[in-house]
Amino acid sequence: MWCGPGLTSNFLRVGARGISGAPVDILLKAVGDTPIMKTKKWAVERTRTIQGLIDFIKKFLKLVASEQLFIYVNQSFAPSPDQEVGTLYECFGSDGKLVLHYCKSQAWG
Amino acid sequence: MEEDEFLGEKTFQHYCAEFIKHSQQIGDGWEWRTSKDCSDGYMCKIHFQIKNGTVVSYPGTSTHVQTCLPMEEALELPLDDSEVTEATAATEVIKYEYHVLYSCSYQVPVLYFRASFLDGRPFSLKDIWEGVHECYKTRLQQGPWDTITQQEHPILGQPFFVLHPCKTNEFMTPVLKNSRKINSTWTCLCFHLFPRNVNYITSWLSIVGPVVGLNLPLSYARAASQNE
Repeated sequence: MWCGPGLTSNFLRVGARGISGAPVDILLKAVGDTPIMKTKKWAVERTRTIQGLIDFIKKFLKLVASEQLFIYVNQSFAPSPDQEVGTLYECFGSDGKLVLHYCKSQAWG
Repeated sequence: MEEDEFLGEKTFQHYCAEFIKHSQQIGDGWEWRTSKDCSDGYMCKIHFQIKNGTVVSYPGTSTHVQTCLPMEEALELPLDDSEVTEATAATEVIKYEYHVLYSCSYQVPVLYFRASFLDGRPFSLKDIWEGVHECYKTRLQQGPWDTITQQEHPILGQPFFVLHPCKTNEFMTPVLKNSRKINSTWTCLCFHLFPRNVNYITSWLSIVGPVVGLNLPLSYARAASQNE
């Protein structure tokens, strides 16, 4: 379940971060000529997987089935599809958010 | 059209060495092997899997146990040399091999893989895919898997499945270009500039690996960004 777009005020939930169960703030950045999402900041529940995020972004960007979408942490590492966002936040989050790059590709097509 | 990010062979070997360094730190089992005349080499990993999902690594590769589901860190348990945890019959144990070679013609790394039962019976491609994560199964059905072929291993001369390298530049180039934009510290390897915190092999394997059942622990991502 999505908590919805993270508005600036959502970032001020001081103290809520780090408590298991609290959603994490994600900043999505497009790579290459991948369409840029109108809403880049999202509050996502910790147990959401990378695959869930990929499906969501693909739907949001209206990508066709033959287009692949990859998500990266640290700009260049693609986590396994069932990796949870909460875990990634613990490992790679900074300044209260997790930056994820996403890139579409026809690579497998 | 963006200029492609090609990988020279020396650079390939450098990134493999960095990758293996981290693998040794976490006991992930990757090794470097050279051909008989030592002119080229490749990275190799072997792991054993029992059909019900438990993975056992034998001594000589790495001595820890990890589940076959992708986990951010391998579960480390001390394993006696003579022990095999929860093995059922010998025929239920499957040996997976992954080799990373360099393709001179495409100037990219290439993933060779195969699987077999312990008695030597080969595992079919269909069987391998049954072990692949659910989310990749839809991708598999979309038919790029005419780009998995069976070929002779260039160094060992044995049949392996190969993930065709022709599309590698397409998905690697945007990632590398993006990383280059973001990072101001670069390293010069063989007269080519690469963003310092990106290990091409780590990135590439993190993308292609899961499709054939190979998942990299998250610590590789941290290691890549710490490389000197």
